[in-house]
Amino acid sequence: MTTIGLIANPVSARDIRRIIANASNLQIADRVNIVMRVLTAAHSLGVERVLVMPDSGGIRALLQRHLARGHSQHQRWPLVEYLDMQPTSTVEDTFLAARLMHDKGAAAIVVLGGDGTHRAVVRECRDIPIAGLSTGTNNAFPEMRESTITGMAVALYASGRLSAAQALAPNKLLEVSINEGAQTDIALVDAVISTDRYIGARALWKPEALSAVYLSFADPQAIGLSAIGGLLQPVGRRDPGGLAVTLGHDPAATRLRLLAPIAPGMVRPVAIAHWQAMPAGQPFTVAQQGGVVALDGERELAFDPGDRVQITLRENAFPTVDVARCMQIAACEGLLRLPSTP
Amino acid sequence: MAAYPFPLEKPALLEAYRRMRTIREFEERLHVDFSRGDIPGFVHLYAGEEAAGVGIIGQLGDGDRIASTHRGHGHCIAKGVDPLAMMKEIYGKKGGSCGGKGGSMHIADLSKGMMGANGILGAGAPLACGAGLAAKYRKKGEVAISFVGDGASNQGTFLESLNLAAVWNLPVIFVVENNGYAESTSRDYGVAVDSYVDRAAGFGLPGVTVDGTDFFAVHEAAGEIIRRARGGGGPALLECKMVRFHGHFEGDAQTYRASGEIDDIRANQDCLKKFAAAVTGAGVITASELTAIDHEVLDLIERAVVEAKAAPLPTAADLTTDVYVSY
Repeated sequence: MTTIGLIANPVSARDIRRIIANASNLQIADRVNIVMRVLTAAHSLGVERVLVMPDSGGIRALLQRHLARGHSQHQRWPLVEYLDMQPTSTVEDTFLAARLMHDKGAAAIVVLGGDGTHRAVVRECRDIPIAGLSTGTNNAFPEMRESTITGMAVALYASGRLSAAQALAPNKLLEVSINEGAQTDIALVDAVISTDRYIGARALWKPEALSAVYLSFADPQAIGLSAIGGLLQPVGRRDPGGLAVTLGHDPAATRLRLLAPIAPGMVRPVAIAHWQAMPAGQPFTVAQQGGVVALDGERELAFDPGDRVQITLRENAFPTVDVARCMQIAACEGLLRLPSTP
Repeated sequence: MAAYPFPLEKPALLEAYRRMRTIREFEERLHVDFSRGDIPGFVHLYAGEEAAGVGIIGQLGDGDRIASTHRGHGHCIAKGVDPLAMMKEIYGKKGGSCGGKGGSMHIADLSKGMMGANGILGAGAPLACGAGLAAKYRKKGEVAISFVGDGASNQGTFLESLNLAAVWNLPVIFVVENNGYAESTSRDYGVAVDSYVDRAAGFGLPGVTVDGTDFFAVHEAAGEIIRRARGGGGPALLECKMVRFHGHFEGDAQTYRASGEIDDIRANQDCLKKFAAAVTGAGVITASELTAIDHEVLDLIERAVVEAKAAPLPTAADLTTDVYVSY
C-alpha cells in the first residue's frame, strides 16, 4: 500500500514575534485546509494511505470534521490513519511521530511547520525524505509552496513514478556538540550563539545578544538570522560548505555593519567582526564562554563557561523531495498525460 | 567573561522566587486547613500556576489593574496584597482584605490595583476593559490585565471584551491561563478552536502562547506585551499553558484525570523547581539562599493562619459598612 506520513504542527507560529514584529499567525482552520489539499492531491496520484500525527491543538479535531463529511465528486482522499500515540503538545510529539512513520514504512513525510518543526523531524529520522510546507515564523528551510503541488510531487515519488535519483535532493545540516557529545543536537539552517543564558520566550530578535552565527546555507532572500550570512556571502542550499559569522560588539573589532531582516518585519543593523567558509566535517569551536545555542531561530541549549561547544557542518545529511524537479520531470516525461479518451 | 544570564537582577529574582513560594505555601496550607473544615465557603487553589501569575504581575505597578478569577489567591500575592490580610479574609475574619466579608472568591485590594477575584466566570474581562479605558484617559501608561481560564474563555463576556478592547485600542492584556480543565471538562472537549491565538486573531488582536510553567518564558513574553500596551500599541492575548496541582475546587475527587497525572506534573512541570534549577545552575543564587526564603515563607504562612484563627468574626454592625448605600 503506497503510504506517506503527514506531520502538521499546531503550535508553530505562536511565539512572541507576533507582538514584537507583526509575524503572521496561520490559523488552525487554514492549516487543516492545507492538509486537505495534500490529501486530495496525493490521492489523485496513487497514495493509498496517509499516516497522520495526532495532536490536541485542533488540527485533528477539524480534520475529522472535514473527513466525516465523506467523499464527494470534488474531493477524495486516501485512508487516513492516526498514529497510536498520546499527544503531549510538545516537540516530543513530532519526534515520536517521525519514529512511528519510519517504522510503519512511510515513503516520505509531508511536514507543515516552520524551521523548528522540520528540524525536529530530521533530528529523529534522517532517512525518510521530507517535503516541507511553510507554516511557521522564520522559514528559511521549508519553501512557500502550494500544498497541492507538494502533495503531487510526494505522490509521484511515493508511488514509484519517479526514482529517488530523480525526486530527491541531498541537504546539509549543522551538528551541535557540547562537551564532546555529552549533549548533541542539530540545526537545519542556523545555529546561533546568544549571550542570553535562559531559554525564555525562545525566539531571538536582539542583535546585541548575538555573538556568532553558523549557517548550513545562506540565502539573500531569507528571513531570520540566516539572512545575515545571505547578505554577507550567500551560500546555496545545494552548494558545498556553509558559513561561520562572528559578530563584533566591540567597535574596534567590527569590520562592517550590515542591515539584515533578522525577523519578520525587523530590519536591523548587525555588527560583523569576521566571516569564513565552513568546510564539511570540520568542527568550529564556539569562543563565547557561557550562553545559549539557538537552533533554527529558537533558544534551545544553555551552556556554562568552560563548556566546549562545537558546530560541524555535514553534507548529504538527509533527503528532501525536490518539488520543482519532480514536477519538471513529470512534465518532460509526460507522467501526467492521460489517454485521449477517459 | 560571560554575560549575566537573566533578565532580572539578583534581588528581583529572589523577590520573584519569594512570591512564587509564598503562593505555593499559602495554597498548600489552605489545602490542609480546608480539609479540616476550618475555612468557610469554597477555595480554588493556584498551586502549580505560580510562574504565570508572578511572571506577568511582577512587571506591574500599583497603578496597573488586574481582574482576577475564582482562582485568585496567586494573583493577589503576586500583586502585592498582604498575605496576612488575605488569610484573615479567607477565614472570614475582621482585618481581612475585605473585612472578612468577601472570602476567597471576592478578595480584592484596590490600593494594590487588585480589582478582585470573581465568582462569575469570564466576568473579569469587561472590568479590565473598564480599567483599561480609565488608563487610556489618564495617559500615565498604565495597563489592565484580565485573567481568564481556558473554560471561561468560552464565555460571551470574554469574547465581547476582546472585541471592545480592539475597537477602543485599550491597554488591556487578556491572559488565558490554560491549565487544561474547565472545572472537570477537558479543554480538548470543550473548546472548538483549540488555539487561543487564533481566537485573538479573529478579533484583530495579536496573540502569543508560552510555556506557563517557565517563569522566564512568561516574563519575557509578558514584558514585551505590557511594554507594547503601555506605549499605546493596544490589546493582546497571552496564553500560558500550565498545570493545576489540585482539583478545580478543594474536595474535587478529580476522577476525570489520568492516574499518575498529578504525580507526573508535580515531578516534571513544577515551575518552582524549574526556576530554582535555572538560577542555581547559573550560579547566580545558591540553594541555601532559596532554602532561607522557604523557611521565611513557611513562618509567614504559619503566622497568617494563627492570626486569622485568633481574629474576631465580623459583627452584625459590619453588614452596613463597605456598601454603596449609606445607612
